[in-house]
Amino acid sequence: MLLQSIFIGLVAVFMVLDSRLLGRLNFERPLITCTIVGLIMGDLKTGLLVGAQMEMVTLGMMIVGAGGIDMNLGSIVGCALVISTGANIETALAIATPMTLLNSLLTTVADLIRLKLCHQCDHYVEAGKYNLAKRVDILYGPITYAVFNFIPVFLAVYFGADLINSILAVVPKFILDGITLGANLISFFGFALLLSTMVNKKNVVFFFLGFVIAAYSGLNLTAVAIISIIFAIVVYQIKYSDSSELQTAGAQVDKLDD
Amino acid sequence: MSKKGLEAQRNYPLNKKVKEFFWGGWCMQACWNYERQMNTAFMWGISKTLDRLYPDPKEDEKKKEAYRRSLEFFNITPQCGSFVLGLTAAMEEKYVEKPDTFDPKMISEVKVALMGPLSGVGDSFFQGTVRVIAMSIGISLAKQGSILGPILAMLISFGVSFPITWYGGKLGYLKGQQYLVEISKRNLLDKIMYGCSIAGLMVIGGMVASLVPITTPLAYGKALKLQSILDGILPQMIPLCLTGIMFFLVKKGLKPIFIILSCFVVGIFLNYFGILAI
Repeated sequence: MLLQSIFIGLVAVFMVLDSRLLGRLNFERPLITCTIVGLIMGDLKTGLLVGAQMEMVTLGMMIVGAGGIDMNLGSIVGCALVISTGANIETALAIATPMTLLNSLLTTVADLIRLKLCHQCDHYVEAGKYNLAKRVDILYGPITYAVFNFIPVFLAVYFGADLINSILAVVPKFILDGITLGANLISFFGFALLLSTMVNKKNVVFFFLGFVIAAYSGLNLTAVAIISIIFAIVVYQIKYSDSSELQTAGAQVDKLDD
Repeated sequence: MSKKGLEAQRNYPLNKKVKEFFWGGWCMQACWNYERQMNTAFMWGISKTLDRLYPDPKEDEKKKEAYRRSLEFFNITPQCGSFVLGLTAAMEEKYVEKPDTFDPKMISEVKVALMGPLSGVGDSFFQGTVRVIAMSIGISLAKQGSILGPILAMLISFGVSFPITWYGGKLGYLKGQQYLVEISKRNLLDKIMYGCSIAGLMVIGGMVASLVPITTPLAYGKALKLQSILDGILPQMIPLCLTGIMFFLVKKGLKPIFIILSCFVVGIFLNYFGILAI
């Protein structure tokens, strides 16, 4: 259990370094991290299911700058505890929520440390010690992230299972079922958040188009995603056909090639 | 002023320079702080260029000045950061070449001018569209128990992020200024954002309709089931309505954590009285 908790803690380090050192490749998302947790704990299937559930709920919670709510860390803990206690997958969200709240306190401490690091950088540059300034950014910065994500996850996974088990033993079944329903309701909050960052009166019709295609045809999301990319390119070409050789959003990438 | 540094910088292989911008972009949030956000990472990304440009200890004052410039407030989508780094490197070079005619203030001004638009288009492209598409495909596969879900989601994200960061850095360094004019003249960023929003919104619509099959068990006797009536009007009507309600709450500006906690309470209530079920 100790070794396993350490590994789960390292998953949290991997999670946070994705956005720090890999330009946010989405490896930090619950779908990925929970799958890894499942692999570590020898229950890939539950890992995948918790990952899918947590991803769905949190997909809309964009982390732009400092705002928003970050459930990535809570998802890892939730997934690990669901696997070790055998609770149902929606419980992951019920665990992740208080974990997120607790963690925001720790994050504040880490933020203060990094504020200090920023001043340290200024100081080293003024003193002409450029290499030290660089080290502060590329080494000490990520270390603050790694430490402040490893510790809470390790502690929660190592000591949390007993706590969750004793809670599950006393809570009546209708409440647990209700939490399952509630967790799924939160998915719609995620969708709504995502919508609110993109939608306006002019383009809301595309949301309904995607909805109607999926609702009536029963096509899966991969199909809907492909249709929507093609559709976006077609609309773009019709709308901006006369403007230039840069015709599609997708062609922008090819254009960068020369 | 000696031109030794300029020569060193020009003779340095292009691919190695682009590599610096690339990693500078990806590591853009290494030491994020509340005061100047990504400033230290920007300094790290441009530092090797500056070190080459000012090799002489006698030019230390100039070098220090350039480092100070790099430590000003900065914020950007990491993948777009390489473009700004490349462009800044090109301008720093120009400043060493023509210190009398090129005003170094322009470097800071260009950085500030690029931050907003590039973050806007970058965030909506990478976090809005790419992430939504990659994850929605991943979720639907993972729900069927396939490990292809997360793997595909990772591959899609990487496959988009890598080339844009790499060629962004290259383009910014080689033709950044020229492209700046073109981009603003053609309103290119707005157009790309428009295209992205279409694809993103359609996928969200698809997610609402297919990911969370919430139904109502309400019925009057055996014959009159509310769910089949609703399905006759519009399939997946309940998920659509729930999204509408949530959208209203988000627009009202309620705190996320309040909505999440309320969902649990409301879920217990609706489940207990058999109004909604999953």
